[in-house]
Amino acid sequence: MILLTERLTERPGMAIDIEFEGQARRRNWSQHPAIRWVRRGEAFLFPVGLIALWWIASARGWLPEQILPAPAYVVATGRDMISTGELFYHAGVSLRRVVFGFAIGASLGMVLGIAIGLSRRFEDYVKPVFLAFAQIPTLGWIPLLMLLVGIEETLKIIIIAKSALVPVTLNTFSGIRSVPAKYLEVGRALRFSRWQTLRLIILPSAVPSIFTGIRYGLTHAWTSLVGVELLASSEGLGYLLVWGRQMFWLDTVIIAMVVIGIIGFAMDRGLEASEVLIRRWKRQAED
Amino acid sequence: MEETSNFVRIRRGLTLPLLLLVAWEASSRFGLVDIRFLPPIEDVILTAKQEIIDNGLVGQLGSSLLRNIAGFLIGAVLGIGFGTLLAVVNIADRLIMPTFNGIKQISLLAWIPLISVWFGFAEQAKIVFVALAAFIPIALNTHDGIKDAPRELVEVGRALCFNSWQRISRIYLPVALPSIATGIHLGLIYSWLATVGAEYFLAVGPGIGGLVIAGRERFDMALVMVGVIILGIVGFAFNRLAGAAERRLLRWRE
Amino acid sequence: MKRITFTRLAAGLAILLAATATSARAEDQLVIHVGYAAIGIDNRPYSEGTSAATARAGEFLEKEFANDPNIKIEWTFFKGAGPAVNEGFANDQLDFAYQGDLPALIGRATGLKTKYLLASGARKPLYLAVAKDSGIKSIEDLKGRKIALQRGTNGHLAAIKILEAHGLTERDVQVVNLDSAGTVAALTSKDINAAFGDTQLINLAAKGAADVIYTTKGDDPRFGRNAGIIGREAFIDAHPEITQRVVDAFVKAAKWSSDEPNRAALFELWHKSGTAIPILDEYFKGDTLAYRNSPLIDDLLVSQYTEQAAKSKEFGLIRRDVDLKGWFEPKYLDNAIERLGFKNFWQAYGADGKPVAS
Repeated sequence: MILLTERLTERPGMAIDIEFEGQARRRNWSQHPAIRWVRRGEAFLFPVGLIALWWIASARGWLPEQILPAPAYVVATGRDMISTGELFYHAGVSLRRVVFGFAIGASLGMVLGIAIGLSRRFEDYVKPVFLAFAQIPTLGWIPLLMLLVGIEETLKIIIIAKSALVPVTLNTFSGIRSVPAKYLEVGRALRFSRWQTLRLIILPSAVPSIFTGIRYGLTHAWTSLVGVELLASSEGLGYLLVWGRQMFWLDTVIIAMVVIGIIGFAMDRGLEASEVLIRRWKRQAED
Repeated sequence: MEETSNFVRIRRGLTLPLLLLVAWEASSRFGLVDIRFLPPIEDVILTAKQEIIDNGLVGQLGSSLLRNIAGFLIGAVLGIGFGTLLAVVNIADRLIMPTFNGIKQISLLAWIPLISVWFGFAEQAKIVFVALAAFIPIALNTHDGIKDAPRELVEVGRALCFNSWQRISRIYLPVALPSIATGIHLGLIYSWLATVGAEYFLAVGPGIGGLVIAGRERFDMALVMVGVIILGIVGFAFNRLAGAAERRLLRWRE
Repeated sequence: MKRITFTRLAAGLAILLAATATSARAEDQLVIHVGYAAIGIDNRPYSEGTSAATARAGEFLEKEFANDPNIKIEWTFFKGAGPAVNEGFANDQLDFAYQGDLPALIGRATGLKTKYLLASGARKPLYLAVAKDSGIKSIEDLKGRKIALQRGTNGHLAAIKILEAHGLTERDVQVVNLDSAGTVAALTSKDINAAFGDTQLINLAAKGAADVIYTTKGDDPRFGRNAGIIGREAFIDAHPEITQRVVDAFVKAAKWSSDEPNRAALFELWHKSGTAIPILDEYFKGDTLAYRNSPLIDDLLVSQYTEQAAKSKEFGLIRRDVDLKGWFEPKYLDNAIERLGFKNFWQAYGADGKPVAS
């Protein structure tokens, strides 16, 4: 904990480390199959209860229906949107944007992070400017970029790339810097070339940090996507949100929110799974 | 690697910003870039002066910050309370935590239409949004921090026959303090993001976010830049503040 | 040590609660919250083109209640237009509002308890502007192009009706949801190909940044937009006398806005929103002031709204039938016209669009 806290104070946006570490530690003793089944059931009690309460509230008219549409209504609209393909279309547009933008931002971020991490010189020159740019929230960049590149796809890709770039760079940099000294000594003893040192020692050691950055970057990218689509879009999940709000279709709003949550969740789990896989592979490689 | 003196490092750090500034000035002097895309530095400074003197920029910033702090405090108090409750009461944890984990996946900005319909256009909608932004990371980190309390300490509490209140205040919260501190750090950052977001998407009102949007609508790049720079400065200040608050909380524990 | 934390936190929370409580306690005062489903240039809290805008700019409401120290008027202008006004009504944050036909109907369809009190800004024309060099010459050319609309506003409905009359549906075009200022910016930078809108488009054309290729002015009157002053039912029931006085003030504003000799002064007043007077001249060209600023709830208006309701459902903008029975509440209007002596000043129109003999 202390080590991470120390890293936190000098770098913004690294804090997510602690959240993931805590969750990883707790997962160990709940793996027993029986417990897992009970757990699975338990998790649904509360949401089902909430939905039941929702159903009663709307049936009894406790809240006006603009504020609380009937759950059956939401389900019906959801079914409609799925069968007309509308929901998949908009979700697909949003996903495509995120994947594309994130790929660009994350790769640039890793390259930048590695460069800053490897060369003190480069760090001295570049890091101040980078940090200054990183302080400006993504939302602040959107109107600026709108003036420069308009409201088309380019805007969205750039914004998404930017929001992925910052955490990836910072975490990659930190990962590169925290390679334990003794590993580097081994490399020196074995007379590795710079390239070999990078490939066989530094990068593998930095992988957990890089992954943290990637996870954080994806979350940010997904959030920025919603922001951009809320401001200026003609398709996508954020567009659905705006449409629903303008037309007072709260059911559409809720469906869009749920889909945004599900996709966000799926992406995060996907990355978590790949992180586990890479760690296992790394451990095998070390043996 | 040779040790580079601080002086050299600072000099290096200033090189790129200075080069950029020179390039900026050159581009407007020699008309290299369309001034709609890159107004002269002078214009930006003039606009800033105009905003401060004529249009009450300081007041606008003050409104934004006030909204931010109010929302943050509400979110923080509720977050710590909720997180503690869930961490301490095991049943609540097993029942509610999965749902909460699901809800936290919904991007913050996606809440805007719902909050707009549920709370209307006044300040309360914006404050609720900011509070939500702070609530989520603080609740999560409080919860995780308490859950990670080492067994021995919990045992000590049982041995000393602490009641719930004592257990919470004497054991759980202090142990969770680093985690809570992280949560507060995140909460401060997210609540600032939410403040700007609220000014973009929920009704018109005083604030820096409104300034940036107005600049964009007027094609006034200088105004947008002024707004963006201020956002950056405030963001930086919040980061520092958050870091300092975190360190302070940790030192308290000792 | 830990106890200090709690007392500090508790104190902070208490201060916050106290602060919010005191702001809500100014209850001896009655504040009448009036909304307007539009906003001026640069977010100025003024608008133009309607008797409601006159009421605001000329402070008719404030003058009506000038001798009541306990009653305050608070105006709010909405970038989010009609839909945002609905959010205000849904949260009881607005008591009266100027709002267009589609959003008012949407509000009623989703169960908002409101009443239509008098017409304002009825029979407004809609304009279609295209970006420079977009190559769009007719409405049919809009197919597949990027068009800005503010969803949920009366302009939205009018636009769809126009598209339908030319063989297009909403799905045949790419709709970008933008508000008035966003539309102006997007058209200027050619981020969109065309936009449906109001005076802001005439303004843009006058500056040479876009071309207006179509207006409903002069076309079938069924393409026009309607609007009116909507009141929150709970407020009306609780304060009928105040409602009557509010309607009185709006009717006085409508009368002043309908007197032809006032035309120049009227445009000058509307200029507070930032729209230039030549634009307003163009906006009102060929129309008498009395035609555009009439507050009457006549058969033409009611039949228009009924048709809008049916069309909205047909276009899928509203998802259930809207029952307009009991929504129109002309008694305050009739009362005001009677007492103020404006009977027979405005021409009533029948459902067929022809003047009704009085």
